[in-house]
Amino acid sequence: MGALQYFFYLSVAVLLLGLLYKAIKIARMPIHLRWDLYPIPHEKGKGHYGGSYFEELDWWTKPLKVSLVSEVKEMSKEILLIQSLFHHNRFLWLSSFPFHFGLYLLVGFLFFLLLGAILNLSGIVIGVSSESAVGVAVHYLTLLSGLAGAALGTLGAIGLILSRVFKGELRRFSVKADFFNLALLLAVFATLLISLVTVDRDGAIHRALAGNLITLKPTGEMPSPIPLELFLAGFFFLYLPFTHMTHFIGKYFTYHKVRWEDHPNLKGSKIEKAVTEYLGYKLSWAAPHIKAGSTWAEAATDTSPVTGEEKKK
Amino acid sequence: MSSKKVKVTDMSNNKGQLTELNPADFLPLPPPYDKLELEPKMKPLTPDQKQRYECDLDGIAAVMIPRPKSDEEKKILVDKFLSGLTKLFNKEDNWTFIQALLLTMEYCAKCQTCSTACPIFEESGGKEIYRPSYRADIMRRLYKKYIKPGGKVFTKLTGDDIDVNWEMIARLAELTYRCTLCRRCAQTCPIGADNGLVTHELRKIFSQEMGIAVKQLHEVGSVQHIQKGSSTGMTPLAFKDNVEFMEDEVKERTGMDFKWPIDKVGADVLLLHNAGEFLAWPENPEAFAIILEAAGISYTLSSDLLGYDGVNYGLWYDDVQLARVALKHIETAKKLGVRKIVLGECGHSHKALTVIADRILTGDYNIPRESSLTLLADIVKSGRLKLDKSRNEDIYVTLHDPCNVVRLMGIVKPQREILRAIAPKFREMTPHGVENYCCGGGSGFAIMPNTNFPDWRHSVAGRKKLRQVLDVFQDVIGPEHKKYVCAPCSNCKGQIRELFSAYGVFERCNILYGGLVELIVNAMTDIEKPFLEWDWH
Ligand code: SF4
Ligand code: SF4
Repeated sequence: MGALQYFFYLSVAVLLLGLLYKAIKIARMPIHLRWDLYPIPHEKGKGHYGGSYFEELDWWTKPLKVSLVSEVKEMSKEILLIQSLFHHNRFLWLSSFPFHFGLYLLVGFLFFLLLGAILNLSGIVIGVSSESAVGVAVHYLTLLSGLAGAALGTLGAIGLILSRVFKGELRRFSVKADFFNLALLLAVFATLLISLVTVDRDGAIHRALAGNLITLKPTGEMPSPIPLELFLAGFFFLYLPFTHMTHFIGKYFTYHKVRWEDHPNLKGSKIEKAVTEYLGYKLSWAAPHIKAGSTWAEAATDTSPVTGEEKKK
Repeated sequence: MSSKKVKVTDMSNNKGQLTELNPADFLPLPPPYDKLELEPKMKPLTPDQKQRYECDLDGIAAVMIPRPKSDEEKKILVDKFLSGLTKLFNKEDNWTFIQALLLTMEYCAKCQTCSTACPIFEESGGKEIYRPSYRADIMRRLYKKYIKPGGKVFTKLTGDDIDVNWEMIARLAELTYRCTLCRRCAQTCPIGADNGLVTHELRKIFSQEMGIAVKQLHEVGSVQHIQKGSSTGMTPLAFKDNVEFMEDEVKERTGMDFKWPIDKVGADVLLLHNAGEFLAWPENPEAFAIILEAAGISYTLSSDLLGYDGVNYGLWYDDVQLARVALKHIETAKKLGVRKIVLGECGHSHKALTVIADRILTGDYNIPRESSLTLLADIVKSGRLKLDKSRNEDIYVTLHDPCNVVRLMGIVKPQREILRAIAPKFREMTPHGVENYCCGGGSGFAIMPNTNFPDWRHSVAGRKKLRQVLDVFQDVIGPEHKKYVCAPCSNCKGQIRELFSAYGVFERCNILYGGLVELIVNAMTDIEKPFLEWDWH
C-alpha cells in the first residue's frame, strides 16, 4: 500500500472520530434554559401558524400533542431544499442549493460505489451489460449520482466563491479560511467531474478503488487525475472536523435542542434532575451583585448582595 | 468614514465615532411621514456628554459608561472583559446558555441571511454596525482567539483575528444595546445560529463580570425590584393605595362597585401585572378587574414584595438577577396557595416566568404559569361576558404581536379570537404572528431614557413598527377615522407611546394605542359609557 492510501485511511478515521467527538461534546453539555423560537413544527395542529401548547387553558393538565410527521416534513424541506435560504436569501440559494445538493448526491455516489464494490466481491457484475438487473441499476445510479453531484457541486462552489468575492456584504465578512474551504471543495468536485468524463467514464476505476480500499488491498496504479482526487478527498475529510463546515451536526442541535426544544420542566422529569445538579455548580462571576464562590442555588436565593441584608437562615 | 463600509476590525480603531447617523439615510416612511421635515430630530450629545461617556460607536450613549481616565484603567477593564468572556464559555458559570451559545459561535456560515430579517439594520438604511452578524462576528472572533485552543495563532492563519482594546469593548457594550433581542434574525438562519442570543450573552459579560449595565435595567430596575418590591419603586403600601384609587376609578367610569381581591389565600389564580400599568395605564388593570369579576374567576393580586410587579429585567442582561426575581414571584404564589399564576399584559414577564425560568423551577417551585391571553380567550368564548362587538364598530383596530409572547412563546391565536369577537374592523399588519416586527422597545429599550438614546429608539428601532402601523391604516389614515393599535404588552405600549408622541401620530392620524382588555370592556354591554377614553392618551 502506498502513502496516499494510508493517508486516506487516516483521513477517514479522523473524519469519523472528529464528527463523533463533536456530536458527543455538544450533546453532553448542560441542558440550557429554554430558548424556544416559533414556529415549532411538532406542535400538533398549531405548528403551521406558529402556535404552541401555551395557547391551551391549563395546558399542564392536558397531554402534549406532538406531531413527528410535521417535524420530519419541515426538516426534510430544510435539509434537501434549504428552504430558509430559498425564502430569505434567494440570491445565495441559487449557489448554495446546487452546492449542497451536489454534496448529498456525492454521498449517494460513495454509497453506490461501496455497494457496487461489495456486489462485485459477491460475484455480481456491475455495468450496462451485467446479467443482473441490480448490477445495471447500480451502474447507472453510481454514474448519475457521481456526475450530477460533481457537476452541481462545481457550479455551486464557483457561485459561492464569486458571491463572496463580488457581493460586498459577503466579502466584508469573509476571511481567508472561508475562501480556502470553498476552493478546496471546488477542487474536490472538479477533479471528480474531470475523471468521470475523461478516464473513468463507466465508473469502474472508482468502484475498483472503493473495493480495494474497503478490503485493504493496494490501490495500484490509477490514471490521472484519480490519485489527486483521492488526495484532495482525503485532505477534505481530514480537515472537515476542524471547521464550521460540520454545520450539518450543529444544525441538528440548533433546531432540535434549541429552537424546537419546548419540553416543559415537569415534576420528577429528567430535566428537573439535571437542573438540580446544575444548581449546585459554583459561579465565579465577579460583579458586586454576585457572591463569587456561591452555588447557583445560593446566588438565586441570597439577595443580600443587592439588598444589603444577610440571608435569612 | 462611509458607514456602509465599516468592517468588524474597525471596532478597535481609535478614530472616534465609527458611524454617523443621519435621518436622510433611514428608509423613507409612508405618508403622511414621507417628508423629511416630519422626522423627529436626533439630538447630538453635548460636548460634555461626549467627553464623559463612551459614545464612539454611533454617537449615542445608551449605557453611559464613563470614559476611563488612564491607560491602566483601560487595561483593567479589558482584562475584566476577557475574564468574563472566559466565564461565558465555562460550563459552571454559564450552564444556562452555553450549549446554545457555542452552537452559534461554531457554525455560522456568514451567509448574511439574518440581515434581511433585522428591522434595525434594514430601517437604518443598512448601517453595517447594526447588522445582526456584525455583533456576532466580533464575538466569534473573540471566541476563536481567546477560548479555542491555539486561538491566537490560528486566528492569524484563518484571518479571524481581532484587536482587543478598550475602544473596541466600549463600542461593543453600546452595540449590545442596539438589538432588541427580538430574534427575528434567528428565525431565518439556515444554520439555526442565533445572533439575538449573542447580544444577550454579551450583555451578561458586562453585567455579571464587569458590573456594567444600563442603570434603569439594573440599579433602579432589578435591584430596586428586589429591594423595594417593584422596579417602579412602588412599595407594598403604595400598591395598596393604587388599588384603592383604581377601585374608585372603576366605580366612577362604570358604576361597578367592588373590592379587588388582594392576598386572598387559596384563590385559584394569582394575577401578576407589570406594576408600570398601575402608574401609566391604570385602565388596563382596571379592565382586568372588571372582566375577572364579571366572569366569576377566583383570583387574587398580591401585596407581597415583588408579588405585585411581574417584570423581570434580568431576562435582558443578567441570569442571576433573572433567577432571583423569578423565584420571588413563585414564592408569592406558593404563599397564597394558588393553582396557577396568570401573567397580565406584559410580554417579557410572560416569557421570563413561563419559558426562560421554567427549568430553574424545580420541586414545589414548579407552579404552573399561564398567559392572560389564553384565559381571556376562554372567558370571551365561554359567553360569560355580555359582549356587543358593535360597540367597537367605529374603531379600526390592528394588533401588535409582542415578540416575547408570540415569536418566543407561540401564543398567536387567543388574542385574535378575542379581537374577532369584539372588534368588527380588526385588520392584520404585514407581517404578523410569529413573523411580527418588534415595537422597537424590546430588551429594555422602552425604559431606557439615557442621553440621546430615545431619539435613536424612535427613529431607528421603532421605525419598522411605525411603518407597519401606517401601512395597515393607509386607506383610512386621515384623522377623521378612529384607529387603535392593540398592544397587549406593557413595554410595547411604553415604546409605542413614545414613538407616537415623537412623530405626533395621534394628532396627525388619530391612532390611539392601548391594551386588549380595554377593548373587551369597551364591548361589554353591562357598562353604559364607553370604556375607551379616546381623547385621553
Ligand atoms: S447567523 Fe445564520 S443567517 Fe446570519 S450569517 Fe450566520 S449562518 Fe447566515
Ligand atoms: S435579535 Fe432582532 S434586533 Fe437583534 S439583531 Fe436579531 S433581528 Fe436585529
